[in-house]
Amino acid sequence: MKSFSHIYTLFLAVAMLLLSSCVNHPDVPSSSKEAGCLPAIFPDYCDVTVPCNIAPLNFMLPVGEFSKCVARLTTSDGQQQTYGKGVKVQIPEQDWHTMLNASKGKSIKVEVWGQKEGEWLSFNPFEIYVAEQPIDEYLSYRYIEPSYAGWSFMEIVQRNLTSFKETQIFNNEITMNDLKIGQCINCHSYQNYKTDNMLFHVRLSNGCTVIVNDGKISKVNLKRDYTISSGVYPSWHPTAKLIAFSTNKTRQGFHTLNPNKIEVYDLESDLILYDVETDSVSVICNDPDLLEVYPTWSPDGTYLYYCKSVPLPEELRDKDIRSTYQKVQYNLYRRSFDVASHDFSEEELVYDAASHDKSATLPRISPDGRYLLFAEGQYGCFHIRHNDGNIVCLPLDDSDAVLRAQEGEETPSDVDLSNFNSEGMPDSYPSWSSNGHWIMCSSRRDDGNFCRVYFSYFNNGKVEKAFMLPQKDPELHISLLKSYNRPEFMIEPVRISVEEFSKVF
Amino acid sequence: MKSFRPIYTLLFGVAAVFFFGLAYPHHLHYQEQYQLFLFDSAYVWEIVRLPGGVADLLGRFCTQFFLFAWVGALIIGVLLSGVQLLTSRLMGKGWLYGLSFVPSFLLWLFLLDENALLGGVWAVLLTLLASWDFDRLPSGWLRRVLLVVAIPILYWMVGPVCVVFFLLQAPRPKGSAVWYYGVFVLLAVLLIILSHHLPVPTERLWFGIHYYRYPTVTPVLLWAAALSVFVLTLIARACHKWANASSGFVVTLCSFLLVSIAMGCLVWKNSNFKAEKVMQYDFMARHQQWNRILATIKAEKPNNQIGVTVQNLALAMRGVLVDHLFDYNQNGIAGLLPDVESDATSPLPTAEAFYQLGMIAVAQRTVFEAQEAILDFQKSGRCYKRLAQTNLILGNYEVARKYLKALQKTLFYRDWANETLPLLGDEEAIALHHEYRSLRHSTYDEDFFFSDHVTPEMLESLFFSNTDNRVAYEYLRAYYLLTGDRESYAKLLLRSVEQ
Repeated sequence: MKSFSHIYTLFLAVAMLLLSSCVNHPDVPSSSKEAGCLPAIFPDYCDVTVPCNIAPLNFMLPVGEFSKCVARLTTSDGQQQTYGKGVKVQIPEQDWHTMLNASKGKSIKVEVWGQKEGEWLSFNPFEIYVAEQPIDEYLSYRYIEPSYAGWSFMEIVQRNLTSFKETQIFNNEITMNDLKIGQCINCHSYQNYKTDNMLFHVRLSNGCTVIVNDGKISKVNLKRDYTISSGVYPSWHPTAKLIAFSTNKTRQGFHTLNPNKIEVYDLESDLILYDVETDSVSVICNDPDLLEVYPTWSPDGTYLYYCKSVPLPEELRDKDIRSTYQKVQYNLYRRSFDVASHDFSEEELVYDAASHDKSATLPRISPDGRYLLFAEGQYGCFHIRHNDGNIVCLPLDDSDAVLRAQEGEETPSDVDLSNFNSEGMPDSYPSWSSNGHWIMCSSRRDDGNFCRVYFSYFNNGKVEKAFMLPQKDPELHISLLKSYNRPEFMIEPVRISVEEFSKVF
Repeated sequence: MKSFRPIYTLLFGVAAVFFFGLAYPHHLHYQEQYQLFLFDSAYVWEIVRLPGGVADLLGRFCTQFFLFAWVGALIIGVLLSGVQLLTSRLMGKGWLYGLSFVPSFLLWLFLLDENALLGGVWAVLLTLLASWDFDRLPSGWLRRVLLVVAIPILYWMVGPVCVVFFLLQAPRPKGSAVWYYGVFVLLAVLLIILSHHLPVPTERLWFGIHYYRYPTVTPVLLWAAALSVFVLTLIARACHKWANASSGFVVTLCSFLLVSIAMGCLVWKNSNFKAEKVMQYDFMARHQQWNRILATIKAEKPNNQIGVTVQNLALAMRGVLVDHLFDYNQNGIAGLLPDVESDATSPLPTAEAFYQLGMIAVAQRTVFEAQEAILDFQKSGRCYKRLAQTNLILGNYEVARKYLKALQKTLFYRDWANETLPLLGDEEAIALHHEYRSLRHSTYDEDFFFSDHVTPEMLESLFFSNTDNRVAYEYLRAYYLLTGDRESYAKLLLRSVEQ
């Protein structure tokens, strides 16, 4: 019995130690030297505007330069708390959400002290503005090494944005039955931010498109005799059981010197419409000389927006695309759609990017239909590999702006996205939250190679400073050797398990 | 005469150490380069969260020491001896003693395969250890309760090999068949429940997640080794009186020698010394042992793809490729710079050649693709190091920093990472670094798309970017000679003289 009491005491001591190590409320340094600048925290959360339901914005000071960090957070109602352990500031979720609730429509003041070579420095305080509008509760993305042609383990996961919980939707291991060819999973897509109707592609081993229709899983082959490939980039119609896809014959080139490293280009691409209920595929447009890609529906489903290349100059048309790829540019078009007859109208130009020597891709219409967000670079269709790739926003309700854009005048954006875009690093794959108040992109801005997710607050055409997807351990985004690929907002989680998905194969 | 048994075990262990240290060292190097053990809680959690995770973790931890073949050989020797000792204890005494070496020899046979993972050996060892511990418990309710508790714990620690534990516990205590069969049912139920919750293929929950590098292959030899322990204990119990009747020194020695000679011959016969030679070339290229390569090819001309690639690289590094090109076996231009295949092994020597030539972006891609092709999705210390170097040379310092930060969490690459980190962004220091300065100087000065197939234009562009690049000059001339392009060869000579 005596030995048991020893074990019990030891267990209690360890438990207490563990509990005490979970939350640390250090004292603010009694004396410090003023640094006279904002702290160089990672991620940079200085003066950002965040949703009222976001997970804690944990951050850290640079390891090596600093040995300790203390942060004092003060809400507008005067509540204060300090955090800091080592160089990291990790705020418990409950504390954080209490602070957010108290600061809705106001801000949280953050004071940071850092210990450098034994001396405490106090930095200029900054604010975290708390918007009244929440962000969609879930985000899904694919984890993948920023690869060339090969890949290893990949998974599509969903992250609860109000916490740090991350769960797997599918992986490329569970149904891979041929190691020699491997398996690629990609292009997860949802209807109207909901997950009862969704899809993702499985390529090579056990290749198919997995479609969830009102919660029922099936696998389909979208390749038809008259299409150049199976479905590639998808977009669910917001109300009908219809999915617009591009079909692509895609190739890659690898640079020897260009910092863009990899070029992704299409030899051919068309648009198709897939009817989920009847398993039928119809062609939307398939101009043999031009490339149509990246379909996306307007929120009311009455228009299909997409990108289409402009004809190459006569002298370049018969040349190998490996020598002409820098001349391939895309404009934005749209066609009106009759959901009853499935008929599309003639196309109309929405944005003439080529006229000012640019190429526009990945259009996304805001949920209120007032704004058009897209990625733009100098050429091509894969701006996440282009250092000049940026996100552009056009107001669609401003007919003058659209007209100017159509006429190719120098109006790349009526909405100032300088707070959202990075300088000289690829930003691409933009999207809107379901309430239209948060815009998101995938960006290589931190190192030029590994994609991270950035959000910005959007309110009536005004865009606030972008902030990185928060993580429990702020160092994760420094050490993680994977990219966040194709981030998509969802208002609910995918409830189907990996194992249930795997049964469809 | 029991006191001689440790000597037999020692002899066996020493034999294993010498075998792996002398005859099979490059298999150990090969194993090491396809994993990256990180002293990082997230990494450890990723391993131990799956069934068999503890054995896998121990296997990976030990495999990092394979960078030094003799240390690796010693680890294997100790593990195999441990399995033998435990088998011997489970079997009891008698002239069947020699058979207690059979499971260890089977594991030795298993480890001859370069894709066999040490985690499998650890799984067998831990299973036997658990069984031996249980044997010492007195019969009764406590033993039965512990048996039930041990089911999930042992399964989680070592994976499905733990079935041997339950087989070994079967006959004892007598009359507890309900418990005995109950644990099997419990294990089966556990696996079925797990298969619904773990994102891994169900069959791997039944046959092992990380015993073998090919996830879809069931390692028959490993299972044979594990199950043989049970079979041997059955034999030992069946022949209990008869076997124990004669346990003298000579009988024990004879049984040891008989099994050792028979199984030893089997091991030798099944050893893949051709693969060992190929791995040796890869190892020498990795460590840039150009003189050793030249000495090796002089003794025996390589006749395999990797050997020829490495041979030509060493000749070029010493500036004698063209002079001695036809003294050795060639395989056309495929022996010079072979097309990059989508596997984890063959591209690495080619990537080394790309790197030494100054084709840094090409080397980076080749190494990256090789690492992605590792079948059990592990990472590679060798590849991380080269990815850090190529990113540093190309000026992608933040990307290089990520790889270096990861290497800082390793035991044997930490010092190198610590030395390299200060170079990032320090242009002056890089300009003084002999390797990086020279490779920066040797690389392309114009951009183009490179392909998987090396063309003379790629080598020409490289050489004329910097005519001091003698490795490129050697390769280009060799390329023309191997393709019989005398005209281009003559033009090159003329042009290089003019320059």
